[in-house]
Amino acid sequence: MPVPILKQGEMLIASMQSNLNDHDLMQLRDEIAEKVGRFKSRGVVLDVSIVDVMDSFATRTLRTIADTARLRGAETVIVGIQPDVAIAMVQLGLTLDGMLTALDFEEGMELLVASIKGSRQGAD
Amino acid sequence: MSNRPLPSDLERLQLSSQDIERRKVFVDFRPEDMPRIATIKHLVVRDVDRYGSAFFDHLAKLEEASGLIRNRALLEEAKRLKHEHLMAMVQGDYGRDYMEQRVRLGVLYGRAGLEVRVFLGAFHALMRTIGNDVMKQFAEAPDEGFETFMSLKKIGFLDIGLIVDVLIAERERTITLQQDAIRELSTPVLQLRERLLILPMIGVIDSMRAKQLTDDLLRSIRANRARIVVMDVTGVAAVDSKVANHLLQTVAAARLMGANVIVTGLSADVAQSLVALGVDLTSIRTMNDLQGGLEEAERLLGYKVVYAEGAAPASGRV
Amino acid sequence: MPTEETHVPIDSDGDIVAARQKARELAAQVGFSGSDLTIIATAISEVARNIMVYANRGEVVLSAVRRGGQRGVLVIARDNGPGIPDIELAMRDGFSTGKSLGLGLPGARRLMDEFEIASEIGKGTTITMRKWTR
Repeated sequence: MPVPILKQGEMLIASMQSNLNDHDLMQLRDEIAEKVGRFKSRGVVLDVSIVDVMDSFATRTLRTIADTARLRGAETVIVGIQPDVAIAMVQLGLTLDGMLTALDFEEGMELLVASIKGSRQGAD
Repeated sequence: MSNRPLPSDLERLQLSSQDIERRKVFVDFRPEDMPRIATIKHLVVRDVDRYGSAFFDHLAKLEEASGLIRNRALLEEAKRLKHEHLMAMVQGDYGRDYMEQRVRLGVLYGRAGLEVRVFLGAFHALMRTIGNDVMKQFAEAPDEGFETFMSLKKIGFLDIGLIVDVLIAERERTITLQQDAIRELSTPVLQLRERLLILPMIGVIDSMRAKQLTDDLLRSIRANRARIVVMDVTGVAAVDSKVANHLLQTVAAARLMGANVIVTGLSADVAQSLVALGVDLTSIRTMNDLQGGLEEAERLLGYKVVYAEGAAPASGRV
Repeated sequence: MPTEETHVPIDSDGDIVAARQKARELAAQVGFSGSDLTIIATAISEVARNIMVYANRGEVVLSAVRRGGQRGVLVIARDNGPGIPDIELAMRDGFSTGKSLGLGLPGARRLMDEFEIASEIGKGTTITMRKWTR
């Protein structure tokens, strides 16, 4: 089941469903990489608010998506991790250290816009 | 109001066949006790009302038993169950049904607020009344009378064991409810201003409380769209490595939801001993006191970008 | 409550999702609350994935259990794969160092109340886990 990826200006937005299998996750990873390259996106919002389980594979995939996007010039933010999922992830020992996280889509976009502006200023 | 014990009550009281057998072993109930009890069966059945009265008349004299005595509905039900009890006590079948009957009576006593020490006195009055009559019946053979009464007493102690277990269970349930209520009260998550939550932690943090705290905090972060949480541990009784790890987990979970946590109130001594125990405090922002934490929080909120730990160096001092 | 067992075959990665969804349903019936449901589903996801990665196929057996007055779930994850040569090593945390063998087993152990693992080289692995309601 493919994850829909929307383009919004310089951003890509992907909303992950709750029953993605490993194959779906890998497909998502490849698609985002491809689209970031094609559209020269500056930011990626990965919305996981309806994901009910984040296991080690899913977490690794998110990290891979973020790393690949960064290599192609885009910053990634993970938004919408639910309380129960956050608790389970932490107990499992999964962190998203080094990655941007935000409460929801709005917060995530704000964070991305600021980080892009920041890096633009830095580059000047 | 039903006095039927709930299935979970019966399980908690351990009334499996094994447990019932163990209870009989505890009172040293033996095969020879059954025929002995049979010899006084008619005696008890004949005067069952008088024996029941001995129990309730004793209670009627005590202010402490007014919860049962003055409640007409409960008292009627108790008398009925006691009548059944006395009849069953000499029937010789002490299986699951017998036990459930006792539990039912215990649940009723619990609802009436009958305390164990008061119940025991009344039960003794009942047994003494029966005992007097048994000795009269065996006037010609007092030794046998004594042995017979002792056999009946074993069943009496079996009954006491069950009733007391029920009363204890009721007491424990009340205490648990009260503890839960206290926990709720002592971990308020306060919204200071937009995007900023304060969590003043007070008292002893055990695993259960830590779990509830984390739950409450994360849901508050979501409800208030908080970006910063100031977690003050000045009032926490003992910050050992276990408590510290609970805190670290809470901080990590909050971060996953996009909120940064500043821990305040961790004294230099405590921090040093935690580090010595191998607790990794480098991943958390700490400030000496709540005021410092609030200032830091406002400073952070003044910035547009707040990076998750690891993407930018941590600031703040221990 | 009847102790029925739910057998979930683990054959393809879609089965991992099925196993954790069934686990969530069962845990909800037993009476677990919100975060525990996710915790249980996550633990099952890890052990089911472990089967997939190291044994290609196996099964997860789920059942409701009772002990004393407590209710809980029992999860048995078994396979006839190559077995784990060094269980102690497998149960060591490797997440943060990146040297993890990919086994989510230490994580699953942290999530559940009880965790046992039995493995024989060439025969297979059986993981038994339980979580109890409070």
